Amino acid sequence: MTRRIRFDLWTFVLIGAWAVLLILLVWPLSSILRASLLDNDTGAVSLIHYIEIFTTKVYQRAIGNTFIAGFGGMTGALILGVTLAFVTTRFHIYGRALIQTLAVIALVAPPFIGAYAWIVLFGASGVVRKGLASIGVSIPPLYGVAGVILVFSFKFFPHVFLITSGALGAINRSVEEAAESLGVSPMKRLFTVTLPLILPAIAASALLTFVLSIADFGTPRIIGRDFNVLATEAFNLFGGEVGGNPGMASALSIVLIILSMIIVFGQRWVLRKNVYYSNLMKKPERKHASGLKAVGLHALAYTIVLIGALPAIIVVMFSFRRTSGPVFQPGLSLQSYEKVIATVSAPIWNTLIFSSVAVVAIVISGTLIGYLISRRPNIATGALDALLMVPYIVPGIVMGIAFITRFNDPPIALTGTGLIIILAIYVRRLPYSARSVAAALKQVGPSLEDAAVSLGYSPGKAFMKVTVPLIVPGIMAGALMSFVTAMNELSSSLVLYVGSTITMPVRIYLSVMDGEYGTASALSTILLSMTAIAVYAAFHLSGRKESALL
Amino acid sequence: MADLKIQGLAKSYKDVRVLESIDLDIASGEFFTLLGPSGCGKTTLLRTIAGFQHQDKGEIIVKGERIDNKPAHKRDIGMVFQDYAIFPHLTVAENVAFGLKARSLPKSEIEARVAESLKMVRLDGYQNRLPAEMSGGQQQRVGLARAMAIRPTLLLMDEPLSNLDAKLRIELREDIRDIQRRLGITTIYVTHDQEEALAVSDRICVMNKGNVEQIGTPFEIYRKPLRRFAAAFVGTMNFLPAQLDGGRLVVGGQSIPFPGSEGAVEVAIRPENVVLAGAGGEGDAILLKGEVRKVTFLGREAHYTLKTDVGEIVAQVADPEHDFIVMEGRQVEIRLPLNKIALFRPNGDVVKAGPAR
Ligand SMILES: Nc1ncnc2c1ncn2[C@@H]1O[C@H](COP(=O)(O)OP(=O)(O)OP(=O)(O)O)[C@@H](O)[C@H]1O
Ligand SMILES: [Mg+2]
Repeated sequence: MTRRIRFDLWTFVLIGAWAVLLILLVWPLSSILRASLLDNDTGAVSLIHYIEIFTTKVYQRAIGNTFIAGFGGMTGALILGVTLAFVTTRFHIYGRALIQTLAVIALVAPPFIGAYAWIVLFGASGVVRKGLASIGVSIPPLYGVAGVILVFSFKFFPHVFLITSGALGAINRSVEEAAESLGVSPMKRLFTVTLPLILPAIAASALLTFVLSIADFGTPRIIGRDFNVLATEAFNLFGGEVGGNPGMASALSIVLIILSMIIVFGQRWVLRKNVYYSNLMKKPERKHASGLKAVGLHALAYTIVLIGALPAIIVVMFSFRRTSGPVFQPGLSLQSYEKVIATVSAPIWNTLIFSSVAVVAIVISGTLIGYLISRRPNIATGALDALLMVPYIVPGIVMGIAFITRFNDPPIALTGTGLIIILAIYVRRLPYSARSVAAALKQVGPSLEDAAVSLGYSPGKAFMKVTVPLIVPGIMAGALMSFVTAMNELSSSLVLYVGSTITMPVRIYLSVMDGEYGTASALSTILLSMTAIAVYAAFHLSGRKESALL
Repeated sequence: MADLKIQGLAKSYKDVRVLESIDLDIASGEFFTLLGPSGCGKTTLLRTIAGFQHQDKGEIIVKGERIDNKPAHKRDIGMVFQDYAIFPHLTVAENVAFGLKARSLPKSEIEARVAESLKMVRLDGYQNRLPAEMSGGQQQRVGLARAMAIRPTLLLMDEPLSNLDAKLRIELREDIRDIQRRLGITTIYVTHDQEEALAVSDRICVMNKGNVEQIGTPFEIYRKPLRRFAAAFVGTMNFLPAQLDGGRLVVGGQSIPFPGSEGAVEVAIRPENVVLAGAGGEGDAILLKGEVRKVTFLGREAHYTLKTDVGEIVAQVADPEHDFIVMEGRQVEIRLPLNKIALFRPNGDVVKAGPAR
């Protein structure tokens, strides 16, 4: 690595990235940090909230529970995600696009309704639970820590699946064949060669799922019962259900952010020696399994994605049920749709426009930033990488409040505009794209770019002509993930929306709050269909090309 | 047409010095070969010249102009990569046309040059293949064609033929040499094949551990090594311990007049210069007795490994007869003609004085 600074395209990208993150992330969040350091009553600077966090039983328990939820959700998601990725990249599985779509659907089970659907199925009087009880199988209700971890596993495994299957598909076949020829059994090869090779991808998705698990408040709130975590405490205090305590809520958010920073550096440490490049020359082949093995593999893959998509499926079913006010009645009807059809077009357009604009910006800047992080490692890019973790972890509602606080008045007065919602989505989902690009780049040897440069292309052009086509799968995966989560973004929009900028998830949330489950289900179904179409189109289109997604 | 001057070039990775202080002076149109053991810094040197990494110290001067601060893509330096670096998403033709497109040549010219380059590497007909559908050696040749096609002012080749069969390697090295001469492209070539280095180079640079050991024509490198390392690394060389003492050279029980310096030395002689008794011989020579330990048949010649009381000596016998094998175990007389030996000091320098060499 050169120690001197050279001014090229990447220097400007670095400066630009820092500028964007300072304005859209650090500056707004500084208001939260400030609030956490002010005494609610006197307004004086004090550490009282932090002292309280570390001395009060309920918060201590929340910190412990946050770790449990984080590691539990991460472990479960890793097991499910890596398994599914391995099965679908190494074996011929019928309906791969369907599996991929279902996996992404699982990711976006609509807010609140998702957790609600789990309760409908596995709660104290859950349908599945009762059904199993009638044939003599008794399972405990889903509530509590086990339920939370289970739901997290099935909610977040698609992240792992998408990131690791990209990596698995790009391992040079010769490397695995070499292991085989050295007398290593396939199972042992998996653990000694294949998994270490995709360690960067696994670590990236582990980090992601950990952070998502500790930042999620909806699931522990609805399913956790007395399993409190930092995110639920913060949400309650911000939400003001019990009077509100912005100082304390801010302090909890800051603790959450610091916790995840520690994890980020842990991941860095694990990966400190990790640079593998393959030349992408010989891609792994999908084997045709036969007989029982094929049946087993299909069953495994479909079970994982179907359970993951179950909440979404339940919501769709509910949308066709007859309702009377908040209560579902026996029988089918389209009445929920009739009710929403007249009012739904503005939110649909807002959702589509906001997420499309945000995603275009995300993909462009995320690709550039991902490149910087993985190809120009230095202090400035390392810090950028760590900073990029912050948006993952900051609860959307906190981000929303931070935006409102800072962008209400000139010089940047954005409250009430669509732009503020777009910017919030942008900064929250930028890491998806940057990280998945960085992961994909780990598998493109840098000598390819050198070759292009030696043939007379500037570094920028070499990047566009050689690197970008090779990391299209990574870019696509990141784009898809950001698009889908942008369409389903609730918490920050909830704080930032006004009448004219209402989005679908906000509409759904408001319906749930009004107790209109039928309407909410119908709206959710519409949102799900939009999501599914987008996802399927992405998989289908890219499936045609040789450099297919995944 | 470009000459290249490198002065005091040093490069470290973290705290490991990979290039100590390299000085090279390469004439315009010269075919210059780097020869040295694995890990001695050849690739590092090429990558630094190409501009993929920046040197810690020193200057790179092309046509009298320092290029150190020119970005790599403006240096017009072509490179054949040791790991090929073929673009896996482009067809063979697209790979070769890649650099030509950057130079915005007319389409017809691009096509002509792609065809010509592929023909040179014996790959015409493979235009539309993807790299994944080709053998290792074929991929390597695409990399070669790609770099030659742009006709750069300076061409760096990092073991461009390492993956080819012996026959193709000889054909291609001649072709590379011809084109290089015709176009006058200054070329730095890295190879582990010594015969190849001797055959094609104008000059050879023997490197070791990030240092230049010797630079010279193939003849000089092979016949007149100035450093023990160059003598040992290029071709086969016998080394025998000896002593310079009072104007005499002492080898084992032998002592021959040898005016000049004093001290411990090593006698070096090539197997083809070792004369086995019976063959007779003129002039001064070191005479030894030995026993044939092993006979190795190499096709054109055979090597006898001889055990003497000063150490093992390998002698080459040209055009061996079918009965050479019976030599094993026989006692032979060995002559080491004085005009064919070189002496090296313990520090690796050659001893200049002595009878005419
Ligand atoms: N990126 C790197 N970081 C640290 N050390 C490196 C790096 N690249 C090369 N080296 C070390 O630098 C030395 C020179 O490497 P280089 O690739 O130049 O050798 P070479 O002469 O081309 O060898 P070969 O003939 O095997 O290709 C080696 O000891 C190698 O281990
Ligand atoms: Mg090398």
